[in-house]
Amino acid sequence: MYDRKQMEEILKENVVNLRFHARGGQGGVTASNLCVEAFYGYGICQPRFGAERMGSPTESYVRLSANEDLIRSNEQVYAPHFVSVLDPSLLSEVDVIAGVPKGGWLIVNTALNQQEIQEIVGRKDINIATIDATRIALEVLGRNITNTIILGALIRVSHLFTLDELADAVMRRFKDNIAAKNVEAIKQAIEDTCVYDIGIQMDFTQDTKISWQQVELGLPGYKEVDKAGVWYCDEETIPVGSDQVRTGSWGEWDIIWDEETCTDCAQCWFICPDFAILREKGEDGKYHMIGIDREHCKSCQNCLEVCPVNAISKQLKQGPASCAVPEEELKEAN
Amino acid sequence: MKLFFREIKEPIETTMIGNYAVAGGVTQTDPDVICAFPITPQTQSVEGLSDVVHQGRLKAAFVNVESELAAMSFSTAACAAGARTFTATASQGYLLMTEALPMAVGWRVPLTMMISARAFNSPNLSIWNTWEFTETNSEIGWNTIVSENVQETYDAAILSVMISEDSLFPTMFIHDGFIISHSVQNLTLIPDETVRKLTPKKPRHRITPKKPGTWGGIVTPSYFMEFRKSLDVDKEPVLGIMEDVFDRFEKATGRKYNLIETYNLDNSSKTAFLTMGSMSGNIISWMTKNKDVGLIKIRTFRPFPHEQLQKIVQDHGLEKLIILEKSDSLNGMLPPFSMSVASALYPLGTLFRSFIVGLGGRDVTRDELDIARRKMENVTDMKGKLYMYLGVRETKDKIYGVNM
Repeated sequence: MYDRKQMEEILKENVVNLRFHARGGQGGVTASNLCVEAFYGYGICQPRFGAERMGSPTESYVRLSANEDLIRSNEQVYAPHFVSVLDPSLLSEVDVIAGVPKGGWLIVNTALNQQEIQEIVGRKDINIATIDATRIALEVLGRNITNTIILGALIRVSHLFTLDELADAVMRRFKDNIAAKNVEAIKQAIEDTCVYDIGIQMDFTQDTKISWQQVELGLPGYKEVDKAGVWYCDEETIPVGSDQVRTGSWGEWDIIWDEETCTDCAQCWFICPDFAILREKGEDGKYHMIGIDREHCKSCQNCLEVCPVNAISKQLKQGPASCAVPEEELKEAN
Repeated sequence: MKLFFREIKEPIETTMIGNYAVAGGVTQTDPDVICAFPITPQTQSVEGLSDVVHQGRLKAAFVNVESELAAMSFSTAACAAGARTFTATASQGYLLMTEALPMAVGWRVPLTMMISARAFNSPNLSIWNTWEFTETNSEIGWNTIVSENVQETYDAAILSVMISEDSLFPTMFIHDGFIISHSVQNLTLIPDETVRKLTPKKPRHRITPKKPGTWGGIVTPSYFMEFRKSLDVDKEPVLGIMEDVFDRFEKATGRKYNLIETYNLDNSSKTAFLTMGSMSGNIISWMTKNKDVGLIKIRTFRPFPHEQLQKIVQDHGLEKLIILEKSDSLNGMLPPFSMSVASALYPLGTLFRSFIVGLGGRDVTRDELDIARRKMENVTDMKGKLYMYLGVRETKDKIYGVNM
C-alpha cells in the first residue's frame, strides 16, 4: 500500500497507470473519468477505442502524474499499476492482469479471498484488494452499480486522491441525492476493503511495456494477408470472427425454450442475430429446433418477441451482469 | 455537456472528451445554423450541440439532413445567406462532401467544420485514426488547423470562427479520431463574454433580396482564370490573419498558439521530429528522457506555412528532420503531409525521411520514435526511397524494418 506522501513523491516525476475492467453499462468509463476529475495533478482517460455494447467486456485506462509533460503522451496504457475489476465474472473471461508489473495491485469487486483470486489469475507476485461492492451497492444505493464504490478501494491502497477530492468530483457529476449516496458508499468501501499486501513495491521509474507489443506479432503480416483484404469464410486467415466471441456472457437473461410448446416455425431462427437458435435435421428430412446456444446468446430477446406460441421465456441470470437491466424491467421480472 | 447549458461566467477548469469540448466551444461562438450528418468518431460533437439547442441554451437552427453532401451544400448556402454555420464530419463523410467543398471557398463563406480524422475505407473499413484530410481535397482552399489535445481542439472551435470571419475562407479544424475525440482530458473553458468579444458577427457579403445576383453561375473562358487568380491573391494574407487571430486569442485567454510550434530545437544532434496532431504529445513525453532531439509541430496545415518553416530550420541550424505522418500515398514519391514539408525544404536541402505510422488507429509508441531516430542517424543523403512504414507486421514473427 502507498500512503499519500509516498504517492505524491512517486507522482512528481512518474506516471501512474490505471485500468478498469467492467461490462458495458456498469460504468467503468465513468469510474475512470472520476479518477481524472478527482486527481490534483494532470490526468488523461481513454476508453478502449471502438464500439461498446451493453454487457460486453469493456476496458478504460487512466494516466496520472504531477508532471504535465509526461501526461501529454496519447499513447495507450500497456503496463497498469492498479487494475480495478468491477465484475468478478470477468476474472476468468478477460486477461485482467495483462501487463501488470510485479507488485502491481489488482482490485476486485468480489467476495472471494486472496488465494482464490490468485488461482484464477495465475499470479502470486501481485497485491490484491477485494471489496464486496455489490453488497454495498445494494445496501446503500439500492441498485447494483459498483463503479464509484470500487474507487473507495482504490483510495485505500493507492491514496492517489483523497475521499474529499473524489467526493467533490462525484458531487459535480451526479445530482445531489444520488451524489450523497455514492459518497456514503465510497466511505464504507474504504473501510470494508480487504487488503492482501504481499510486501512488494513497484518500480514506477520502469515502464514495463513490452517492445513493439502494439504491433501484435503472431497475427499475419502484410506479406501474408489477402491482397484485397478479404476474409474468406473457408480460410483461417483472420483468427477472429463472430462465432469466436463469447457473446453469451454479455446478456442479463437466460433464454428458456419449451420443447413441448414449440411448433418449429423457425421464426426465431430467422431473427436471431447470433445464430444462437440450434436446429438439427430430423429423420423426417426437416429441420427441428433443439435448443439455444448459451455461449452466443446475448439475450437480445428478439426470439421471445417473435415467437407466436410463447415457447420462449426468460429468467434473470444470477450475478452482477444483471446490473445492466433497467429498473422497470427488473420490477416486471420480479 | 451540462456545463454549457448555462452561461459560463469565469474560466472553468474541467475534464471532458474532445468531441464535447468542441460542441461546447462551438456553442459559445453562437452559431445560427448547425447542419451535419453523424459519423464515428465525430458523432458526439453534433450530439452535444443538439443538446444545447434542445435545452434552449443556443438559439440555432439544428438541421437534419440525409447525407454529408447535403450537409455541406446546406451549410454553404446557409452561410452565404449570412448565418454563422457549423458542420462536422470524418472519413467517408468527408469524401461524400467533396462535390460541395470547392464552392464554400469560391463563395468566400466563413463556414467552420470539425473533422475527427478517421481512415478512408480501403481495402477494409476502419473507424480509427488516419490523417484522411491530408489525402484529398487539401488543395481546394479550405484553411486547416490541427490540434494536439482536448484543450487545443476546444480552442480551435473558437479560433476557426475567428479565422473564417477574418479571412472569409472556410476553415476546418482537425483532431485525431478516438485518440482525442474520445479521450477525457483536462481543459480550461473560456467565459462566454470573452468568446463573444473574440467572435463578433461582422457585416459581410451575403445573399440578400436587397441585392439580387447570380451565385455560382457559369462563366466562359474569358472570366474563369481571373476569378481563380483573385482567390489566390486573397489567400496570400491568410497566414498573417491567423497569426493576428492567435495574438488576440492569447491576449484574451493567456494561451499562445502559433502557425508552427517548436520544442528543444537547439539540441546537440541538430535533428528534430516534425509532425502534427496528437503524436506531438507522445513525442513531448518521450523527450523528457531523450533530450538530444527536438520537435516541430505544425498547427496550420493549410495554408502551409512554408516560409515560417524555412526560417525555423535555418535559425536553429537543423540538419535532419524526421517526419512522422499518419497517412500514405500509394502513388507518390512521398505521403501527402511530407510532400508539403518537402516542397518547403527544397531550397534548403535539409535531409529528411518520412515515416508512416499509426494508420487505422495503430498506437504510436516510444518504439516507433526510438527506431525512427536511430534510422535517421545513418541518413546522409536524399537518395533512394524517402519514406517507410513503421510499426507494421511483415510476417507473423517479423516487424517490417526492425531487427529484434
